[in-house]
Amino acid sequence: MPLPDRLDCEETFLRLDDYLDRELDAAERRLVEEHLATCDVCTAEYRFEAAVLEGLRERLRRVRLPAEVRVRLLSRLRNAAP
Amino acid sequence: MVASGSPPPDRRHQEFEALLLPALDAAWGTALRLTGNAGDAEDLLQDASLLAWRGFGSFEPGSNFRAWFFRILTNRYFSNWRKQKRAGTTVELEDAPELYLYTRAEELGLQRTPDPAGQLLSRLDVEAVEAALAALPDEFREVATLAFVQDLSYQEIADQMSIPVGTVRSRLHRGRRLLQRALWSVAEERGLLRGPVADSTGEP
Repeated sequence: MPLPDRLDCEETFLRLDDYLDRELDAAERRLVEEHLATCDVCTAEYRFEAAVLEGLRERLRRVRLPAEVRVRLLSRLRNAAP
Repeated sequence: MVASGSPPPDRRHQEFEALLLPALDAAWGTALRLTGNAGDAEDLLQDASLLAWRGFGSFEPGSNFRAWFFRILTNRYFSNWRKQKRAGTTVELEDAPELYLYTRAEELGLQRTPDPAGQLLSRLDVEAVEAALAALPDEFREVATLAFVQDLSYQEIADQMSIPVGTVRSRLHRGRRLLQRALWSVAEERGLLRGPVADSTGEP
């Protein structure tokens, strides 16, 4: 389907997840960004979703291997034949 | 830290451990998110580490060990481990509305503040996010883990899971809504949403 010249709010919203996931091609990304530059409502929604997603990513990555798990793992590895 | 009760590592073990150890925190995080609990995550991480050790001869020195090891970890999860331990656990779940947290934040009055997402996130600790992710059905938790923790693209996730890209896309989009709703439920249950809302200056 050919791309429109510009997107309205609904068309932008339909692409918001893919945009957040960096999965839009360059042409569609540009259309979304052009709409966001002119629409405060969509920009507020986008900023909120992007910030929440980044916050979730950061929290899910904030993890350390427990010391006792590390000890057991290294013990099994060192006793394993090549 | 030295593993107690284990022999000192020989040179080949040392080479392997020097590459493995820096990747272990992130690998643990991925194993934990994929399996949903610490006991299963430890089993998966041990399986993957032993497989990697046995296959270390095929690792090309100088290439990306972390990527190589994570492929082994996720392959192990999807090709063997998940089938044995998690067969038949798919559950139907009612869909969650779009912009779930945005709407809830509006009801809390956070949208009047300069940074509504920051206000909301400041109430959500790591444990709350972990609990919300663990509450998702397997197929949604898995794609969310690969996308949010490992930062893989739709295509890379599809390759890892042997499913169509369109399925990844729809699971991830729906999974994000379900995660937002689960997060709100966890936050409510734990009383994390109580307390003053900052005013328009961002001060409570």
